[in-house]
Amino acid sequence: MALFEMDFLDDVRRMNKRQLYYQVLNFAMIVSSALMIWKGLMVVTGSESPIVVVLSGSMEPAFYRGDLLFLTNYKDEPIRAGDIVVFKVEGRDIPIVHRVLKVHEKKNGSVKFLTKGDNNSVDDRGLYAPGQLWLQKKDVVGRARGFVPYVGIVTILMNDYPKLKYAILVCLGLFVLIHRE
Amino acid sequence: MSSRNVLYKWSIDDKPVKVDKWDGTALKNSLDDSAKKVLVDKMGFIESHHLMDGRLIICTIAVAFAMFALVWDYLKPFPLSRPILIICVLAYFILMAILTVYTSYREKGIFLVALDKDAAGVDPDNVWTVSSYLKKYDDIYHLIIDYKDGKKRGLRTANFKHSVAKFFDDNGVLSYEIYENELKLLINSLMSEKKDK
Repeated sequence: MALFEMDFLDDVRRMNKRQLYYQVLNFAMIVSSALMIWKGLMVVTGSESPIVVVLSGSMEPAFYRGDLLFLTNYKDEPIRAGDIVVFKVEGRDIPIVHRVLKVHEKKNGSVKFLTKGDNNSVDDRGLYAPGQLWLQKKDVVGRARGFVPYVGIVTILMNDYPKLKYAILVCLGLFVLIHRE
Repeated sequence: MSSRNVLYKWSIDDKPVKVDKWDGTALKNSLDDSAKKVLVDKMGFIESHHLMDGRLIICTIAVAFAMFALVWDYLKPFPLSRPILIICVLAYFILMAILTVYTSYREKGIFLVALDKDAAGVDPDNVWTVSSYLKKYDDIYHLIIDYKDGKKRGLRTANFKHSVAKFFDDNGVLSYEIYENELKLLINSLMSEKKDK
């Protein structure tokens, strides 16, 4: 059995069951901390995805591929023409970052609006779900409040090479599990 | 292969301990383990797990809150799950704060509480509390033993500090015997004080 000859497992093999459990907990706490920071940001910003990465060049020169955006989605802030919004479209997994072009508001508070990418020559009706002409408030993920250039390129690389992503995650996970405190 | 056989193969208590000698945490852990071996395995004291259990309970509850938040948010997507998320996030960070306080003020580097049970079972136990520290980038290993006599209720403390080079050779192999001797000296000094009084 090759497993029993490997020295790097010595630490783990000397542990009692409490230490083994703590080792697993330690790993779970690293994951949990990241998760709770994310959920905490969701609660504070009101957006279901408070940080997004720009994946296309459709908003150049405002945003480039790989820019990191911070979003907020407060209910009482009205959407105005010129705002940069992140929205979801039915049938698409990835939210889109584009600028609001036209807004219609009704007395009863319902809003419909049209968007367009700064770098695109036509508006977004071609991108919406078939037959959809306007976006509504429920489609909005958030509005861009700030950005950090280029940082998100790591995310783009990870998405382009999923194997790389899983390899890195597995290595980090194993390191935490095997390494003692 | 029976499970007993697998466990026997998995356990490596007899294998000499070899660590990366530049890794302070590994050095400290292996020395602490040896102290445990001396007091619990050799001297037959009973290890009390309540300090470690306290930490495990705090961590388990914290992770449970995080997992619950994850599942709840999956079942009831975001705007609906907001109140529960607020509770979980607050509970998690409060528990993390409690954990920090617990490790720095309650555990204080204590890695072993060993009980010397009275043979007749009449008197309270004698309690050995062992803690240690090894500062980052430092080679001096500090070991502190607090001894509480069950009958006389006196608390005595003894400690030693040695460079880790005394216990490890150039290759990072631990010399258990040298460590054991040093520790026994310390333990005997505490025991003999007991007889003097």
